[in-house]
Amino acid sequence: MKRRVVITGMGVITPLGHSVGELFASQMEGRTAVGPISKFDARTFPTTFASEVKGFDLAKYMPDVTRYRHCGVNTRYALGAGKQALAEAGLLEPKGDRSRMGVYLGSGEGTEDFTSLATSTATFTAPGERTADIRQAVGLLFKRLNGPQEAEQEMFSPSGYLADAFALDGPFASCQTACAASSQAIGEATEMIRTGEADVMLAGGSHSMITPLGITGFNRLTALSQRNDSPTTASRPFDLTRDGFVIGEGAGLIVLEELDHAKARGANIIAELTGYGSTADAFRMTDPHPEGRGAIRCMADALADAHVNPTDIGYINAHGTSTQANDAAETAAIKAVFGDYAKKVPISSSKSMLGHLIAAAGVAELVISVMALLKGAIPPTINYQTPDPDCDLDYVPNVGRELRFRHVLSNSFGFGGQNISLVASRFE
Amino acid sequence: MRTNSRRTVLTGFGVLSPIGSTPDALWQALVAGTSGIRTVTLFDASELPTHIAGEVPDFSAKAFIDKSYRRSLNAMARTVELGVIGAQFAIQNAGITKGTISPQRIGIEFASLMGATDLNDMAGASKIASPDGQTVNMTAWGSPGLNEIAPLWMLKYLPNMPACHTTILHDIQGPSNTQIPGDTAGLIALAEAARIIRRGTADVMVVGSSESRINPVSMTRFNLFLQMSKRNDDPTHAIRPFDATRDGTVPGEGSAVFTLEDLTHAHARNANILGEVVGWAMGVDRGKKGPGLARVIRNALTSAGVHPTDIDHVNAHGTGSTLGDAFEARGIAEVFGRDTPVFAPLSRFGNMGAASSLMELACSVFALKNGQLPGTLNHEKPAADCPIAVHTGALRTVTKPYALKVTYTDLGQCAAVVVRKWDS
Repeated sequence: MKRRVVITGMGVITPLGHSVGELFASQMEGRTAVGPISKFDARTFPTTFASEVKGFDLAKYMPDVTRYRHCGVNTRYALGAGKQALAEAGLLEPKGDRSRMGVYLGSGEGTEDFTSLATSTATFTAPGERTADIRQAVGLLFKRLNGPQEAEQEMFSPSGYLADAFALDGPFASCQTACAASSQAIGEATEMIRTGEADVMLAGGSHSMITPLGITGFNRLTALSQRNDSPTTASRPFDLTRDGFVIGEGAGLIVLEELDHAKARGANIIAELTGYGSTADAFRMTDPHPEGRGAIRCMADALADAHVNPTDIGYINAHGTSTQANDAAETAAIKAVFGDYAKKVPISSSKSMLGHLIAAAGVAELVISVMALLKGAIPPTINYQTPDPDCDLDYVPNVGRELRFRHVLSNSFGFGGQNISLVASRFE
Repeated sequence: MRTNSRRTVLTGFGVLSPIGSTPDALWQALVAGTSGIRTVTLFDASELPTHIAGEVPDFSAKAFIDKSYRRSLNAMARTVELGVIGAQFAIQNAGITKGTISPQRIGIEFASLMGATDLNDMAGASKIASPDGQTVNMTAWGSPGLNEIAPLWMLKYLPNMPACHTTILHDIQGPSNTQIPGDTAGLIALAEAARIIRRGTADVMVVGSSESRINPVSMTRFNLFLQMSKRNDDPTHAIRPFDATRDGTVPGEGSAVFTLEDLTHAHARNANILGEVVGWAMGVDRGKKGPGLARVIRNALTSAGVHPTDIDHVNAHGTGSTLGDAFEARGIAEVFGRDTPVFAPLSRFGNMGAASSLMELACSVFALKNGQLPGTLNHEKPAADCPIAVHTGALRTVTKPYALKVTYTDLGQCAAVVVRKWDS
């Protein structure tokens, strides 16, 4: 008999609130946080807007805040979300066997010192040239970069600081599988508890790419919506006129715990993590397989892992990025897995309001899914105006609804072809 | 708890390293005591305080990549190229050809990182946005600067690209994950792959790693915050693991990729077995004191069902850093004292970051397989703060069937894996 894994705490730092309650309330109300990019002057970029975290102050969470003064936002947001989750779970105080409690974070790269990179390169690039004198550029870059700040941009930092700050001395991992990363972290952390390697895992993700080079990269790939005249309606998953995703940022962490461990310490059990599926498309770098080959199998695997039938799923929280390719492929995959029931099951995309949190997207959406399960309320897909013949399912258009159900499926499909599906269930 | 679990064996190995780019060449170099550390040639690094490194000589992805995929090399930084070709070598070495294994039953776990951008990729845009080289005009960067950036620029550097290309090239449709926790990433990937096979989700996992630290931005950054050896005039003696005269590490680059396979599956296709992965553990030693690393080592031994006295040798990270080596030695000493030989191969090829732990592990897999343990290069004067028995000098006969691999990050994240010599 597999060890059962339950959720005993959840925390988020998102553009739609710095608590789970705020995030879910804004989702039910159909609010969006999308607006002009404020982190740098993006007025002449093809895309000028994003879904930004506002008003985040690490000092509210970490009394020794100066310790993290050189850290990037991935570490900062993760600490904020992690503290909320552990506090809710009653695991903030360093009690219990901490060597049995670990961290699994889906996280991104550190933030580049864009100004130093660009100015050092420019100084030794002749006008009209496209190559720099590398020897001299490197010499200048060495003078301009800030050593302590660069040290904190290493990719092990966010997961390492979470373990360090909250005395989570047990197993750790940190993955970066683009938009699937935090869902994959939750799935594999669940497996680590099932095998007995850990009793508690703080799992989720933290990521921001709202930086000059992040937006440059996505804009050059033409992945982002360019609806600059109407940012709040730009994220329109499953709508015929969708033109790309809206980039967001943030963090989410949940406390996964072995059932008996949670019971023994009298923890409040929020829900059970019952199913996990993981596959690769093996198709293209940035495009999903058009028929959703990998997505079909990963949803089916997650259902089988949870020992539920398709008709047991009361709500699907879609990956729903608002790109032409994803939304059509995901719809096709849902139809293949759910058959006739695909037309009946409510499906919505949190990204219509929240934007795409990249490595942190999956966990934020799982948190919303779990809240929907608890509250018996399904958030809408907003900005849904023009039906797409290829996307002909019930996307809960524009208005949320009340519905009680027992199992929710959350999808995350990443750039590079990683597909992850999670099933969360009412705890019974 | 693992009594009924499936056994996981290593059945293929692909390598690109400063001292050899076939399994045989790597082994011969280990036996010969060759060092791959030299003055950087991939770019002019002479302005940096430390400008020596372990480069993979004469590496050309173009020479190996499938012709139909050659165009995609434009979207691969060196880290990605090393990973893709290393994985191809491993799959070939394992005797796996397309169609012989159901695509759904083979997955991939890679260790990598976000690559640092090539400065020339942003030279044109930078000049437009910063004519004076002092400040950046963002409106000029956004337009017209952005047009100077190649459309696929970002894809060259994404951490999951080695795994992504490998899934496409070899039709791998099982789980795909990419681990990023620095020097531990390779062992984390290996442990996760073993877990995936044990729970029956896949029969074969490509478990790989790649990183190149030898580019302008990475070398500059490491010179700023890592303790780097100043022995530019004596590169082959620069990295001195656990030695009293150690003065820092040296960056490297490479790719080490295994295929990990369910034992029954490997037997059924008559695979050549290189060794068995029998146990692992991860954990955090906050403040890098030593007892936390010792706990991780003990947990790894327990998970493998062995005792310290069963271990032929400990394979250490041994980066040559003053604080790092002392920390690692304290942890190892707490479990093994001076009773078990410690082997640190990194001094031969430099610290490859994400690729380091699997590259180092490979040295022990082949040591067990060949029955001989090479010596640790440049360990000449044992350091008082490293109370362990570092094996140096001539080949030592392997006497026990198990080896323990240890590694860690600068935030005290520790990982350990136990491998067993294969007896058919």
